[in-house]
Amino acid sequence: MEFFERFAIPHPSPMIYASMVAIGLVTIAIIVGISYFKKWGYLWNEWLTTTDHKRIGIMYIISALLMLFRGGADAVMMRLQTAVPENTFLDAQHYNEVFTTHGVVMIFFMAMAFIIGLMNYIIPLQIGARDVAFPRLNALSFWLYFAGAMLFNISFVIGGSPDAGWTNYYPLASTDFSTSVGVNYYNWALQISGIGTLMSGINFITTIIKMRAPGMTLMKMPMFVWSALITNIIIVFAFPVLTIALLMGTFDRQFGTFFFASENGGMDMMWANLFWIWGHPEVYILILPAFGIYSQIIATFSERNLYGYTSMVVSMVAISLLSFLVWVHHFFTMGHDAMTNSIFSITTMAIAVPTGIKIFNWLLTMWKGKIRFTTPMLYSIAFIPLFTIGGVTGVMLAIASADYQYHNTMFLVAHFHNVIIPGVVFAMIAGLIYWWPKMFGFMLNEKIGKWAFWFIVVGFCFSFFPMYITGLDGQARRMYTYSEATGFGPLSMLSFFGASLLAAGFAIIVYNIYYSFRNAPRNIGDDPWNARSLEWATHNPVPEYNFAVTPEVVSSEALWDAKKRGHNLFKDKIEKIHMPNNTGWPIIMAGLFFVFGFSFVFFIWAGVILSGLAILGCMAYRSFEKDDGRYISVEEIKETEDKFGGANE
Amino acid sequence: MRELFPMKQVNGFIFSLLLTVVALSVYFLEMSFQAGLTILTVTAFVQAGVQLIIFMHAGEGEDKKTIYASLYYGIFLALVTVFGSLLAMVWGYL
Amino acid sequence: MKIDSTQPLEYSTEQNRLNILGFWIFLGAEIMLFATLFTSYFVYENRTGSGPGGADIFEITPVLIETILLLTSSFTIGLAIHAMRIQRTKAMLGFFAITLVLGAAFLGVEIYEFIHYYHVGATLQTSAFTGILLTTLGTHGAHVMFGLFWGIFIFIQIKKQGLTPQTANKSFIFSLYWHFLDVMWIFIFSFIYLKGMM
Repeated sequence: MEFFERFAIPHPSPMIYASMVAIGLVTIAIIVGISYFKKWGYLWNEWLTTTDHKRIGIMYIISALLMLFRGGADAVMMRLQTAVPENTFLDAQHYNEVFTTHGVVMIFFMAMAFIIGLMNYIIPLQIGARDVAFPRLNALSFWLYFAGAMLFNISFVIGGSPDAGWTNYYPLASTDFSTSVGVNYYNWALQISGIGTLMSGINFITTIIKMRAPGMTLMKMPMFVWSALITNIIIVFAFPVLTIALLMGTFDRQFGTFFFASENGGMDMMWANLFWIWGHPEVYILILPAFGIYSQIIATFSERNLYGYTSMVVSMVAISLLSFLVWVHHFFTMGHDAMTNSIFSITTMAIAVPTGIKIFNWLLTMWKGKIRFTTPMLYSIAFIPLFTIGGVTGVMLAIASADYQYHNTMFLVAHFHNVIIPGVVFAMIAGLIYWWPKMFGFMLNEKIGKWAFWFIVVGFCFSFFPMYITGLDGQARRMYTYSEATGFGPLSMLSFFGASLLAAGFAIIVYNIYYSFRNAPRNIGDDPWNARSLEWATHNPVPEYNFAVTPEVVSSEALWDAKKRGHNLFKDKIEKIHMPNNTGWPIIMAGLFFVFGFSFVFFIWAGVILSGLAILGCMAYRSFEKDDGRYISVEEIKETEDKFGGANE
Repeated sequence: MRELFPMKQVNGFIFSLLLTVVALSVYFLEMSFQAGLTILTVTAFVQAGVQLIIFMHAGEGEDKKTIYASLYYGIFLALVTVFGSLLAMVWGYL
Repeated sequence: MKIDSTQPLEYSTEQNRLNILGFWIFLGAEIMLFATLFTSYFVYENRTGSGPGGADIFEITPVLIETILLLTSSFTIGLAIHAMRIQRTKAMLGFFAITLVLGAAFLGVEIYEFIHYYHVGATLQTSAFTGILLTTLGTHGAHVMFGLFWGIFIFIQIKKQGLTPQTANKSFIFSLYWHFLDVMWIFIFSFIYLKGMM
């Protein structure tokens, strides 16, 4: 019995038991459903073992949406708990667990997955490639991310959730103060999905550097590809820092070392230091692809070339360096001397400059443009002022001496949601709607989409603007309740109202997907938005091999110039196409990683050793395996192209 | 037999052994901490350069620019991380 | 699979060139991995708590042996790649085998060194300093260990299949990895051991 006691929840509540039952029922329902409709073969052959970047991209996006609802439910619970003073909906421990999982899920498993999903789907298409450089590695990246996400998500029903915040500061995260296995889950879930992310980064850099269509020099790449290149460079150089930090955390919690302890030479703030060396570049990993998406959308719906292409590129390269130079601003109040704080204060203000340049570029792209107010464009237009407010409050926080007032208050919470929601979340929704026809061959309903837009924008403002005020009045973040005398009640209630609007907005998006799936016309052609870049030069939805003939590019607005100036993008004849084979090893290896992580969390050494050896065995097998892929014949390609209404020759 | 031992690589190896001997001087000779650290920094980075250029063929092939860019970027960030952390956690920590 | 015969075997297909560039980028990430370990080492260097400091436990002899072993193995893997490029499969396998033996010897000495640390009371759980010392050395050692297995698999494949674009590509990438580990050892040798014993 003692063996099983460790899996019990340390702080059970009726809600958690209900979730357990719900998870059990849903799992059974999925298994029964797939078996009843005899879809196991389809699922395995077409999705679980796929190496097609488009399908992997879609799986990333579906997982990200699931995580969005998990993290969103946490968010609504937090706002509900703090809506009135002295609320008892959640107790302190549950509130800690909820804000921790909200942060981790939203950053790692929602936002990261969403942008990597979009990059997966769009980048090879935008550079005119047939797949990424390492298709199998790409599948492994996805499955490792998925294994990490699942490992993290079972924590709240088996063993207990992490409760030390998404930043997981020590000594709070040490075994003295976080006694459940929650933080072990944090360490291993992030470690496993982090390995996947690092491999994605290497994969995309190689793809973008080496696999661009003929004629597409670096300075003719679409802006989304540029932003993705810079993002992946940051990923490759930032994630190893997290790997080591998590390893040290694991050693502290599971092998009794003293890295982040307060005795025997340990230093708790060293965790914060390492975490933010990774963590600040991470902020730019999230926001740069969003900038790329906005650049594509704004240029398309203003019907003008992107203003200041070169300055856009230069500012992103500058950000890639500066983003590694600012991390100390996350702990100005730790007790540095004035010199140290000043240095990092200045670098932080400096990084606002390249970002500001971009804002002007978008505005000048719209200037004198023929603006079409489609849903993706509405999100992009709303992004500019809202993100600017977030940026300005960021500069306020960058002032080290003033930060002593803002630090650890709701002001900070308002600030980073103010950059992340209009910055990243709006971009993800806008990108999803914009590229939806590319992925699924029909468009989402514009009318319903605009309703969702207004709910989300208004909901966002009501949720987070009140926090600026309560934060300046001294409301600390991460407190599960407050007394009536503080006067935070009415504004917190307003914030809850905003959160409800946001939730309603997301529900409308889900309804829109359902509605459009049922009702939207399928005969939308290849280029429904009258767009500018190469992904719209092939069919909707995209055939397996992307382009029957590799396109030849002469400008950064490849498709637009082809349409307006009559360039021929596809000059060659159709030839047989080399494609990678499907493979089951990535999902099997990720499954083993899941077992490895789970066993490590609970100190089950037999499981650790067995799954560890099995992982090495898989790698050894892979080393000896010979798989040169397969060819699609010319006849097959012609047949497929005819089905889409003629080859683009 | 001779063609199996190209001069470039043999010289590189001898040079790297020499660098090791020079580095060892900080252990066997009396010198100030600063002087020792300077010697170590020079020998370590030269040694790394020897490995990269002579043995790893970093400068050959069509992707030479990308490879060097990635190395310079990595080294820059490594130095930023080391010295920034020392500033934040040791020298500038009251 | 289009084979370009004007290039060395390891660069001869498109996928081979992608693999080599991808691995260089991975080495960029490895630079940051070790940089983080060095960062932590420097921060914890003088935070020895009640445990011993570097000067108390480092011994020059095993460190010197390890350095010579790894430097020589880096030289021999370089010779192996040279032999591969002039199509001398037998000589290449010979150099490859010597490299792996030297690597195994390095690991043997490192294990001896770890046992020594254990005996003088410097374990993971002694202090933040000994913890980060052993973590840094251990991470490097684990890389060497991984490299040994990887190298053995490639050795077997060349023996079975001869030099093909695939096996040549794998050998070249392995050589990059091995040289990189040597470079990291040079930094450990200089900035952990020699600096600590100065």
